Amino acid sequence: MSDRVLGSVCVGTAAAMAWASQGYVAAYSYEPLGPRAFPLLLAVGLGLSGLWLVLRPSVGVEAFKGVPWKGTALCVGAVLLYALLFQLLGFALATMLMALPVGMAFGGSWKQALAGGLVLGVGFHFVFDKLLDVTMPTGVLSFLLGGY
Amino acid sequence: METLRHLLDGFGVAFSPVNLLIAAIGSFIGTVVGLLPGLGPINGVAILMPLAFAMKLPPEASLILLAAVYIGCEYGGRISSILLNVPGDAGAIMTALDGYPMARKGQAGVALSISAWSSFVGSLVATVGIVLFAPLLAEWALSFGPAEYFALMCFAFACIAGLMGDAPVKAGLAALIGLSMSCVGLDSNSGVYRFTGGDVHLSDGIQFVVVVIGVFSISEILLMLQEHHSSAGLVTQTGRMMFNLREMAHTWWSTLRASVVGFGVGVLPGAGATVASAMTYAMEKRLIDKEGTFGTGDIRGVAVPEAANNSAATGSFVPMLTLGVPGSGTTAVMMGALALYNITPGPALFSQQPDLVWGLIASMFLANIILLVLNIPMVGLFTKILNVPNWALVPGILAVSSVGVYAVHATTFDLLLMVALGVGAYLLRKQGVPMAPLILGFVLGPLMEQNLRRALSISNGDVHILVGSPIAIGLWTTAALTLIVPFALRWRAGRGGAVATTAP
Repeated sequence: MSDRVLGSVCVGTAAAMAWASQGYVAAYSYEPLGPRAFPLLLAVGLGLSGLWLVLRPSVGVEAFKGVPWKGTALCVGAVLLYALLFQLLGFALATMLMALPVGMAFGGSWKQALAGGLVLGVGFHFVFDKLLDVTMPTGVLSFLLGGY
Repeated sequence: METLRHLLDGFGVAFSPVNLLIAAIGSFIGTVVGLLPGLGPINGVAILMPLAFAMKLPPEASLILLAAVYIGCEYGGRISSILLNVPGDAGAIMTALDGYPMARKGQAGVALSISAWSSFVGSLVATVGIVLFAPLLAEWALSFGPAEYFALMCFAFACIAGLMGDAPVKAGLAALIGLSMSCVGLDSNSGVYRFTGGDVHLSDGIQFVVVVIGVFSISEILLMLQEHHSSAGLVTQTGRMMFNLREMAHTWWSTLRASVVGFGVGVLPGAGATVASAMTYAMEKRLIDKEGTFGTGDIRGVAVPEAANNSAATGSFVPMLTLGVPGSGTTAVMMGALALYNITPGPALFSQQPDLVWGLIASMFLANIILLVLNIPMVGLFTKILNVPNWALVPGILAVSSVGVYAVHATTFDLLLMVALGVGAYLLRKQGVPMAPLILGFVLGPLMEQNLRRALSISNGDVHILVGSPIAIGLWTTAALTLIVPFALRWRAGRGGAVATTAP
C-alpha cells in the first residue's frame, strides 16, 4: 500500500517538475541542449518509476510497522524548534532546550536529559568556538559569550 | 618508478605534524563512530565534513580526516559485532556470525585482536592496490570525452541499482530524486533559475552539506528511535587479548584471499564493504569450511569479513580519485567535500594535485598503523564507549550536525531545510528507498548534465555522439548487463530463490 502512495507522490512530483521546466528557456542560446532538457528527462524517469511502483507495489511489506509515533513526532518537533531557535537563542541555550525532549525520547529521565543538554550546550560551545575556531551563534547570551 | 617518487612525496605530506595528528584524530573518531550501532561510515563522514570545512582545514587535511574516519569505521564496526552481537555498521554484519560465538566461548580478546589484524591486512593490500592501479586508471581516463563521461556516470548508476538493493526500481528512484535536487538553482550556462520558487536562498542551489546532514544525520536519528539496542548482552570477559602465531597462520590465506577479492569489489561502483564481506564469507565457507564450523565461532569467519570490508572501503577510493565518479555513498560525500574546496576529482587530479592524492594515499598507510595500535592494545577504551547512553549521544549528534550546517552560510533557512530533508529521507528510507544512490545523484547531477550538454554541443545536437566511441559503447553495454543480469537471475530463480540481504 505504501508503495502505491510513494509512487503516486513521484508521479505528481514528476508532473509538477515537467510543468515547471516548460518555462526554462534561455534568452540567448549557444547550445543545442538548453536548461530545460535535463530536468525534463529526469521528470520522465521519475514519472515512470513512480508508475511502476503504483502498478507493481511490493506486497506484504508493512513499511511503517512498529514505528514509535509519539517519540518520532516529539523528536521531529524538537529538531524543528531547534532549527528555528538556533540563531535566535544561540547555540548553548537552543541545545539545552533541544536535548530535554530528545534525550527523554531516547530513554533518559528528565534530570538526565537536562544535565546532558547543559553539558553539551556549554561544553560544545567552548570547544567549537575557542578550540576549533568555528563561528557559533550566541543569540540572547551574546552579552555573556560575545559574538552575535 | 615515477609512482614511487610520488608516493615518497606523499609521505612528506602525510608526515607533517598537522596531518599526522589529523589522521590520528580521524582514526579515533572513526573507530568510535564505527562501533556505535546505528552509525556507520557515511554518517561519520557526513557529520564531520562540514566541520572540517568550518575549521578552515586545508583540502588535503580535510580529506585525510575523512578517509581516516571511513577506514576507522570499518575497524570499529567489529567491536560491537563481537561483544554485543549487534553490528556497529553494515560492513560488520558478517563478523557477528562467528565473532559473538567466539566471545561467548571466552575468546573475545582473540576475536578482537585477530579481526583488527585482518582489518589491517585488508586495508594494506587495498592501499597497495590503489598505488598500483589508480595511476594507470587515471591515465586511461584522460582520454575520456564528455560522451564517455556521461556513459560512465550512467554505468555507475546502473551498478548501484543493479548490485545494491533487491529493489532496483527504488534505487533508481533515489538516484532520480538526487539528480532532480541537483538541478535546483542557477543554471550557469544560460542564466536561468530552476526550481527555486523565487526564493533567494535557493538561487545558489541546495547546499550539499544540508542534504548530507539531513539525509545521514537527522533521518538516521529518527530511525534509531525504533532500533535502539541495549548493552545488556555485552560480553565483558575478554580472556586472552592477543592472538598467537598458530592462529595467525590458520587465518592467513583466508585473510589474504578476502583482501584481494574485497579490493576488487570495492573498486566496482555500487558494491561496497557490505557486499564484499558477505561475498567473501560465503566464498571462504564454501572453500575451506570442511567441518562446518563457520557460524559457531570459527576464527577464520571473524578474520575474513573484516579483511574484506576494510579492503573494499579502501578500494572504493579508486573510482572517486581516478574517474571523479564515486562508487559508494561515503566516497560520494567525500567528493562533495572536495567540491567545497572547488576541487573536482578526476583523472587530471593526479597530475594537477599530486600532493593531495599522494598525501592522501600515504596517510592511509599511516592511518592503518595508527588504527592497528588503537584497536589492539587500546581496544578496552573503546568497549567503554558502548556504554554511552543514547539520551546523551543523540542530542550530541544533533548539536554537532547543526553546527556544521550553520557554519556554511549562517542561515536559519539551511537548518530548516536540513530538518525537512531529514524527515523526507526518513519517510523514503522507511519505504525501502536507499540513500546512497540519492547522494550519488546529487553529487553527480551537475557533472552529468554538463557532460551531456557538452557532448551534444560538440556534435551539434546529434545524439549519436553518446555511442560514438568503443569506450562509450562498452560502458553502455556493461551498464545494461548490470541492470538486466540480476533481474534475469532473480526471475529464473523464481519464488524459491534466496532473498539477498540489503544494506539499510
